[in-house]
Amino acid sequence: MASKFWTQGGSDTEEEETDIEDEIENGGAGETTAAAAGSRYLQTNASDSDDSDGQKRVVRSAKDKRFEEMASTVDQMKNAMKINDWVSLQESFDKINKQLEKVMRVTESDRVPNLYIKCLVMLEDFLAEALANKEAKKKMSSSNHKALNAMKQKLKKNNKQYEELINKYRENPESEEEKFEDEDEDEDEDESGSELEDPSQIAAESSDEDDEGEDVDDDDADGAWEKKLSKKEKLMDREFKKDPSEITWDTVNKKFKEVVAARGRKGTGKFEQVEQLTFLTKVAKTPAQKLEILFSVISAQFDVNPGLSGHMPINVWKKCVQNMLVILDILVQYPNIVVDDMVEPDENETQKGADYDGTIRVWGNLVAFLERIDNEFFKSLQCIDPHTREYVERLRDEPLFLVLAQNVQEYLERIGDLKSAAKVALRRVELVYYKPQEVYDAMRQLAVLSEDGEKDGDETKVEETRGTSAFVVTPELVSRKLTFPENSRALMDILVTLIYKSGDERTKARAMLCDIYHHALFDEFSIARDLLLMSHLQDTIQHMDVSTQILFNRAMAQVGLCAFRVGLIAEGHGCLSELYSGGRVKELLAQGVSQSRYHEKTPEQERLERRRQMPYHMHINLELLEAVHLICAMLLEVPNMAANSLDAKRKVISKTFRRLLEVSERQPFTGPPENVRDHVMAATRALCKGDFQKAFDVINSLDVWKLLRNRESVLEMLKAKIKEEALRTYLFTYCFSYDTLGLDQLTKMFDLSDAQIHSIVSKMLVNEELHASWDQPTRCIIFHDVEYSRLQALAFQLTEKLSILAESNERAVEARFGGGGLDLPLRRRDNQEYAAGTAGGGGGRWPDLSYNQGRQGSSGRAAYTGGGRPLALGQASRDRSSQSRGTGGYSGRAGSGMRGYQMDASARMVSLSRGVRG
Amino acid sequence: MASSMARSFLQVAATEEVASPLRVVQIEGLVILKIIKHCKEFSPALVTGQLLGLDVGSVLEVTNCFPFPIREEDEEIEADGANYQLEMMRCLREVNVDNNTVGWYQSTILGSYQTVELIETFMNYQENIRRCVCIIYDPSRSNQGVLALKALKLSDSFMELYRANNFTGEKLREKNLSWVDIFEEIPIQVSNSALISAFMTELESDTPVKQCDYDRLQLSTKPYMERNVEFLIECMDDLSMEQQKFQFYYRSLSRQQAQQQAWLQKRRTENMARKAAGEEPLPEEDPSNPIFKPIPEPSRLESFLVTNQIANYCNQINGVAGQNFNRLYLMKSLHDN
Repeated sequence: MASKFWTQGGSDTEEEETDIEDEIENGGAGETTAAAAGSRYLQTNASDSDDSDGQKRVVRSAKDKRFEEMASTVDQMKNAMKINDWVSLQESFDKINKQLEKVMRVTESDRVPNLYIKCLVMLEDFLAEALANKEAKKKMSSSNHKALNAMKQKLKKNNKQYEELINKYRENPESEEEKFEDEDEDEDEDESGSELEDPSQIAAESSDEDDEGEDVDDDDADGAWEKKLSKKEKLMDREFKKDPSEITWDTVNKKFKEVVAARGRKGTGKFEQVEQLTFLTKVAKTPAQKLEILFSVISAQFDVNPGLSGHMPINVWKKCVQNMLVILDILVQYPNIVVDDMVEPDENETQKGADYDGTIRVWGNLVAFLERIDNEFFKSLQCIDPHTREYVERLRDEPLFLVLAQNVQEYLERIGDLKSAAKVALRRVELVYYKPQEVYDAMRQLAVLSEDGEKDGDETKVEETRGTSAFVVTPELVSRKLTFPENSRALMDILVTLIYKSGDERTKARAMLCDIYHHALFDEFSIARDLLLMSHLQDTIQHMDVSTQILFNRAMAQVGLCAFRVGLIAEGHGCLSELYSGGRVKELLAQGVSQSRYHEKTPEQERLERRRQMPYHMHINLELLEAVHLICAMLLEVPNMAANSLDAKRKVISKTFRRLLEVSERQPFTGPPENVRDHVMAATRALCKGDFQKAFDVINSLDVWKLLRNRESVLEMLKAKIKEEALRTYLFTYCFSYDTLGLDQLTKMFDLSDAQIHSIVSKMLVNEELHASWDQPTRCIIFHDVEYSRLQALAFQLTEKLSILAESNERAVEARFGGGGLDLPLRRRDNQEYAAGTAGGGGGRWPDLSYNQGRQGSSGRAAYTGGGRPLALGQASRDRSSQSRGTGGYSGRAGSGMRGYQMDASARMVSLSRGVRG
Repeated sequence: MASSMARSFLQVAATEEVASPLRVVQIEGLVILKIIKHCKEFSPALVTGQLLGLDVGSVLEVTNCFPFPIREEDEEIEADGANYQLEMMRCLREVNVDNNTVGWYQSTILGSYQTVELIETFMNYQENIRRCVCIIYDPSRSNQGVLALKALKLSDSFMELYRANNFTGEKLREKNLSWVDIFEEIPIQVSNSALISAFMTELESDTPVKQCDYDRLQLSTKPYMERNVEFLIECMDDLSMEQQKFQFYYRSLSRQQAQQQAWLQKRRTENMARKAAGEEPLPEEDPSNPIFKPIPEPSRLESFLVTNQIANYCNQINGVAGQNFNRLYLMKSLHDN
């Protein structure tokens, strides 16, 4: 992947560069400012000419070489000083003395170079300082200490020779260097200043940097060679600027190559390079060249990024986007230019001018750039504190990116690269999918507003740039304006359709998940569910990358919320239960790091996890999610508990809920509810008694409901559900105490209409949850006492146990003989572990499960409560065997075994009775 | 002469040792009554006692017994228990009663006696006396009008295995030992002295239906069945647990084998390379490598015992249910009449 390439490149160069920066900063501080600047100057010089070796030969005088060597030695010494390493300092000192001899020989003068004197002074000061610091001296290692003493002797002896010069230097350190050092100093300032500078100045600077390497050899004056050079540089530069006609494609190309080659090397400032390249774009001769340079500008801008975890400075990011737009302008203007990252284009491809007819190939990858820009945007949102104004400001840049993405996508569609277009479309989808209509509208408005506001600013900027560059004018062909459909659904539809048509697997899967999320957000549960089930994503999600798994979890959470909003409690619970089963919701949704008591994470894992986090504005409210999950669980579990009060462990719908309930029951004193859990637990207690009003009041007092759009209707629905479940719970709990129960009584108690109660009770009768019948004339429910006996209950339990045993036996046999049998559970288990490990887990088969659960539960319940009927036992086992795979044989066996037993018993009876008779 | 005499004694002892496996346990009526009394009085607590008697050929005669005091979980008291036992034996010897230990009796609830403890006790006894038997009495079952008395011993092949403490699948297959073969039930013969028999005949009334036969007609067997099924369910749980142990074992075994294969493969390619380079091949076995450490196979003893128990419960349920049907039919026909 291209994006991978970029990130790697970034990290490589970044480290080196920070090193250098440190060095510069430290060197610049304190008394050796001038020296540092000087040496650095020489150093850049050195590296520049080194670099150019590969491309063209630069003849350098021996003298220069010597000077460079010396400068580098001085640098080494400085480094040694910094870490107080006297051993290497001593070595360097010996080296510099040797070099001095060479320099003297080459320059054929008896004048000792300033650099050397400066170095001596520096050493002397440092030595004095070191000697003065007794503490540090004591701490030194023995070898270091020895070296220090030796150095003291040597320096004393050595300095005697140059006493005069040193004194002179000490008296007036500037006088010697001023002349040639001032150039560098102001260059320094420029650098440390901001990147928002007058372009002309940047130009001056960059070119004088570039040209040094070539120009050095022209000088041969002894002492003041540097000074001369810089003057000449300036002259050159001015010429460069003033005589546009003289600048040829060749010169620009040459410089461009040079600058690009310097990328990632020591001593190349990141900002500097960007500026140099930016300048070059202005003097580019052909559109293709400009394009090429622009690509490099963007790569250089990516390099500015301080680290993998940090994000790109925002202003650089914005510039980057602008550059991308310019690229698009060029591409639109000259349709014969083709951007490609597969073939290495011809060296002089970009020479072909605007009037060239054939296709011009330029190296570059628009999609990779775009994805990188998006990633940087995402990262910046991760890093910025969401509660600050800065975050909001940053969010406002989103339309900017959307414009760019839209344009890139249009361009790609036009040139027929639909695969890449799908990728870009996915990026757009990922920015839109989580936005409810209100947010979407707000973003549209913001986009329109900011467009109006920026119009003027843009124009002036364009004017400015035009002032300096007149070679290749790129009119703004690509629109800078967003063209959003009114409805976010419409936008999603367009994008998603494109992706489904031409995206690759991962892109499609992600787009599908975004689509599901978006549908769920708009309360279209059935569509979301159908999409989810049709796509079979839950089967394959474990094999996807972590971020897609997170997206899947998010989508599931949203589908769950949606199901709740539309009143489908069981479905909602099915979607959410697995998320909450592990107690790692935060981690699964990438909305925060949850601490695990049992295993420590390595810093590496932690960093990875932090990089996966969702930005704050994309979060799904966890309190709401928890409330919805627990309420769903409550509505399902409370009547279930009441129905199976005999053995509570038997049918557990929500383990999480049961556990919470146990914990809350164990409390000696229950205070007023504080958090979501307490509220739901309080409601549960009320509901268990059939007190729906209290239950609803408690739930209603939660303040997460204000996060819902259609709060009123949802609460209305909730109230109806609570009433219904309260009625069911009441009937389950107290049916033993009644012979008959009047309908009017129930309507009064539960504030439900006759029809509602009639339908609920009838449903229970049909499901055989309640053994009763309606007596229409008296409007009563007549309960039948068909409680199965304890022995029967135990028999059921036993059959269940037996079937479990048989199944595991079968599996064991399979493992022994079938070979493949063992692999299957193994693999599944491994997958689960993997999923847990990658925090994306959870997912997998659970939606599948959830949809089954309802069915399974009800059928199980039917079989269970149908104990009164003689067939029930066989039925139950048959039910189970049809659910469990391949146990058909077992149920048959059980049946025959039973029959056999009965026959046996009867046979014995006969024989016994015969015996009696006998 | 003396030496030949001694040899003949030895020979006699040796021949006796191989001869006559235990065929019958002959119990005095008095002993049975004592056992029943002891067990019933303390039921539902489990009690044990010592059996005394004689070992005559293939018949083990149990002529006397005495109960142990109820043990508490304390070492001191346990030592007291041992002392009590010795003291009791001494006293019995003094009054010239049979004081030869032949085993022990214990009560049980619903026939759940197949435990490791019982096996251990049995092994302990077996070390000291060659022939030993364990009599098990189930008071709850006797309530149903059956004399629930059982004489058990461990099978020889099982004892051999148990001494080696080796219950791997391979060994079991070798010995052809299945769960049925752990315990051997020995038929019990009740013998009374002629005097007692005469006395009893004197006492016996003319009516054929006796007091205890009313018990036999008791219709409420439900609690008994329920308990049995409950125990059965527990056993199922235990069995599943054992099975899980095995599954885990097989899983780790297959994983280890895969690892070993991978290691071997690697070693072989390495050796090929070494051979090509003209070096000595490395050994294909590396005992120090942790992946070659054999994983201990879980013992099957527990699952065998559980299976035994399950079989026992099933038999009980079968029996009780069968009898129940009889009674029900009887009742029905009575009603019809």
